[in-house]
Amino acid sequence: MVALKLIPHLLSWAGILLVLLRGYSERRSVVMKTSITGFTGGVAGAIILFRTFPETIPFGSIKTALAVSFFLLWVFSVAAVYSSTARRVPISRRGRFVNTSLCAGAVAFLAGMVAGAICTCRFPATASNTLTFIVLVLAAGALAYALVFCVRIIERLLPPSFTVSPSGMLIAVVAFLLFSSSSILRLDLFSPLSMKVMKGIHDFVHQFMESILIPDHLFVRSVVWKYIGILFSKGVGFWGGMVIWFTPAFLIVLAVNFERLPSVAHIRQGAQRRKLLAAAIKARRHRLVIPLLSVVILAAAAYQSSFPSTEYWDPKPIPISANQSGEIIIPKKGEVNLEDGKLHKYLFKQGDREARFFIMVTPEGQLTVDLDACAICKPDGYGQAEGSVICYYCKTLIPLETVGKPGGCNPVPVVFSVKGDNVAINGMTLINTWGSTVQATTRVKEGGK
Amino acid sequence: MLFRILKNSFLKRPKAVFLIFLSVAMGAAVATAFLGIAGEISHKMALELRSYGANILLEPSAVEGGGFLREEDLPKIKTVFWKYNITGFTPYLFGVADFSAGGKKERGVVSGTWFAKQLEVPGEDPSVQGIKGIAPWWEVQGTWPEGPDEAIVGATLAKRLGVIVGKELDATVHGRTQRFRVVGVVTTGGYEEEQLFAPLVTVQSLLQKQGKVSRVLVSALTVPMDEFGKKDPASMSKDEYEKWYCTAYVTSVAKNVEEVMAGSRAKPIWQIASAEGSLLKKLNNVMLLLTVLALVASATAVSTSLMASMAERGPEIALMKAVGADRFQISAIFVGETLIISIAGGVVGYLLGDQLAGIISRTVFNSAITSPLWLFPTAIISALVVAIAGSVAPLRRALLIEPVKVLKG
Amino acid sequence: MAETIIETNGLTRSYGDICALKPLDLQVPEGEWLSVMGHSGSGKSTLMNLVGGLDRPSDGSLRVGGEDLLALSEDGLARFRREFVGIIFQQHHLIPYLTAVENVMMAQYFHSVPDEAEARTALERVGLGHRLKNRPGELSGGEQQRVCIARAIINSPKLLLGDEPTGNLDNKSTIMVMELLKELRAEERFTVIMVTHNQEVAAWGDRTIYLDDGVLVREERMNS
Repeated sequence: MVALKLIPHLLSWAGILLVLLRGYSERRSVVMKTSITGFTGGVAGAIILFRTFPETIPFGSIKTALAVSFFLLWVFSVAAVYSSTARRVPISRRGRFVNTSLCAGAVAFLAGMVAGAICTCRFPATASNTLTFIVLVLAAGALAYALVFCVRIIERLLPPSFTVSPSGMLIAVVAFLLFSSSSILRLDLFSPLSMKVMKGIHDFVHQFMESILIPDHLFVRSVVWKYIGILFSKGVGFWGGMVIWFTPAFLIVLAVNFERLPSVAHIRQGAQRRKLLAAAIKARRHRLVIPLLSVVILAAAAYQSSFPSTEYWDPKPIPISANQSGEIIIPKKGEVNLEDGKLHKYLFKQGDREARFFIMVTPEGQLTVDLDACAICKPDGYGQAEGSVICYYCKTLIPLETVGKPGGCNPVPVVFSVKGDNVAINGMTLINTWGSTVQATTRVKEGGK
Repeated sequence: MLFRILKNSFLKRPKAVFLIFLSVAMGAAVATAFLGIAGEISHKMALELRSYGANILLEPSAVEGGGFLREEDLPKIKTVFWKYNITGFTPYLFGVADFSAGGKKERGVVSGTWFAKQLEVPGEDPSVQGIKGIAPWWEVQGTWPEGPDEAIVGATLAKRLGVIVGKELDATVHGRTQRFRVVGVVTTGGYEEEQLFAPLVTVQSLLQKQGKVSRVLVSALTVPMDEFGKKDPASMSKDEYEKWYCTAYVTSVAKNVEEVMAGSRAKPIWQIASAEGSLLKKLNNVMLLLTVLALVASATAVSTSLMASMAERGPEIALMKAVGADRFQISAIFVGETLIISIAGGVVGYLLGDQLAGIISRTVFNSAITSPLWLFPTAIISALVVAIAGSVAPLRRALLIEPVKVLKG
Repeated sequence: MAETIIETNGLTRSYGDICALKPLDLQVPEGEWLSVMGHSGSGKSTLMNLVGGLDRPSDGSLRVGGEDLLALSEDGLARFRREFVGIIFQQHHLIPYLTAVENVMMAQYFHSVPDEAEARTALERVGLGHRLKNRPGELSGGEQQRVCIARAIINSPKLLLGDEPTGNLDNKSTIMVMELLKELRAEERFTVIMVTHNQEVAAWGDRTIYLDDGVLVREERMNS
């Protein structure tokens, strides 16, 4: 199963390799070596991160790397458009640097590293001891070697007229990485991006209104409010995100399209002149293939992010303990943001008794703490889907609005109190509630799903 | 240059181009119409069968209760074990009435119901129950009734009576007459279009059936029926029974509701709909088959007319080859030509097909149709498929032309 | 002596049982104007088609401009035709729905990219500057043939083939066309092979070969 889930990520990396090998057709061996080291290093690094830090740090750092690469893409695409429309085409230092083996190696290494780290995020189950760690890293290295080898064979089959420009390479690498990460909820960049855009616009409109720039006149208001309404709608974030998402790709497509054709005016014979021109146009068209393909990949990434495959959101229970007075204190905005609308699972142990529970905010904004079990089914726990949670045992969908209410297959609510910015639960009550409900329903003691 | 060649070649041979255009447009129109209707059928089926729509029908059991359910039992539905899975319910009280409006008299069904009623149940959260919630596909022109003498009228009945929104009509039952103000006309695609819907209380007093209800439609979030769900609970082991009991199969929810409504019998609606459903499914298959046949026919027509025009254009192709066009360039010209014609044909075909679907739907199925968004790309794609399928053989022939034989002399 | 542009060895072309061209050995030096004479059915058109890459020989070897035409694929032959050869037909063969300038541009399009200014210049060079936007139907035979010449030379071919280019023209037009060809040849220095059955037209060349029933029967050199 794990291997199957890895396939899209490995394919993305293979795509990156293919583009890099073709783009640096003179530095293939460097690209191949650094790619393998990068991938293996990425896997190893991510495993170490997952072992030493809580989950948020490795996820956060990989996400940051992705965000930085996307930002770089933006900078590069703007620069590409600028230089392509410039009157003279300077053979810039940048152009020369891009072609060095140092640059080739660096790009291949970094891309491999991020790809490897993303693959590791698929199963952040931390390697418990050094031996499994070594085995995992070696396996990753072998996998990387095999993959690079296969891609090299495929690359040989591509027609020689297919070439990749530096901007094409960059956009393809970033697009593949974003596609690869879009299927992992915590690495996804597009949804947070559209969220940010929406928040930004809302804040902006608020500020705008507070400074009373919008006239509060009876006639003007209704008209203006119609447009403000548009700014507040959910679509704003999505479309704004779309614009930011695709602009660099389109800029690069434009840049390639605007690339100046070689000057042929000095060639006297018409046929020869036209032939040179035709060859240049053809080469330019070939260079457009990769950026256009990247647009498709980016679209796929955005799609995957907006409509995640119906996998249930089911975080690993976070072990938690009570303080001296027997209270479990969980900050609302601590390491985990409890108010993000997702369910967050915790595992509470006291002696040899344990209880699994989750905290979430219902769509009405009500904070609720419930056992990860209902009064009737075996305690297989719940997962969260669009607008509902699902009981893994009986597969019944429970509307989110009713989570926190007892009855049916609903999760059993737990008494809790909000103290300042913390949620406080009595440990003893929790254990007892779990004990009494679960005892009645379970015969075979099972862990969570 | 390619476009100049294409443009001029179009202008020079309008008849041949028009013929191809016509066959593509016809194919696309038929495909659009049939697929649209097929899509509409499945859409309506899905609406009826989906877990959110009403899927449990509560009727008085024949034995007790005198043929009616009690309105006072209704709130209990919100207190059953599966209460959170019940997303909504609506009571109905039916009676035959003589309607008269503007001099016209018609006999029809008056039906009292809840549209969006605030329901307070002790110990439960208040909720809104009624048609609005469980039949979201009803299309109401106008507004939903709010006052006790306001009513919405089914589209067919409205047409027969000649009433429109804002008019008034009288309903007479056993000498009692109630005047209703029509605030909306409803299109549902079903038998409801023959009825008048008014607030339950009003109809109860009109029919002298205070506190009574003929049937209740319940909409519940259920688990799709599987083999396990169909088993007879009596034959299950203890473990199995436990699982069956705590799974929200439509049967178990129905059982649950039945228990709280005195004198009722609950039927999962899929049992009613399945016969109808299989018929619709067959009809759908016929539609798909017809679509495929129509597309094949128009592809053949495209192929024939292209063949004819190829024969006529032999010298031209031969000349292009002699001047040095390779196979790719020749294909680009002819495929480009067919693609342009077929896209134009697809657009026109879509517009025609949309109208055609409306006409067929109105005359055959007697219901309006809303064409879904996906029909447009479907029409264009089917046009392209027709064009490409139709141009394979002619193109092959064009590529086989030998300039020497054609350009003799 | 200039380099040899066409070299055939035992070149044969037969259609089924009919042998249109018996084994033929022929060498044409670069820049020569070769006239091919013979009765209809003597194989002169077959020879021209073979040399122009429009047809494939049944046997023998055929090298034109250093390329072995037998080894080229179908698309290879197309490339050879557009880059190396210009052809003028007796029946003109212009595309009826394109204007004069578009007919020339079509040849540019298949060769590389169209260039309208250059196409205009080419038509002006053949004296049709005033007939650019006319379709072939609106042009006289001589004018049409001049469009053909403009189209044939637009891609600077090394080899210009004429298949009875003056066969349908009156005397005056014939002389005009021949004068034009001579002028252009002086500027562009292409090799000309012209099939004709008109002794006078043949006399414009440097050398004339006579074919009869697919066999080279006589060869004579003109003194210019």
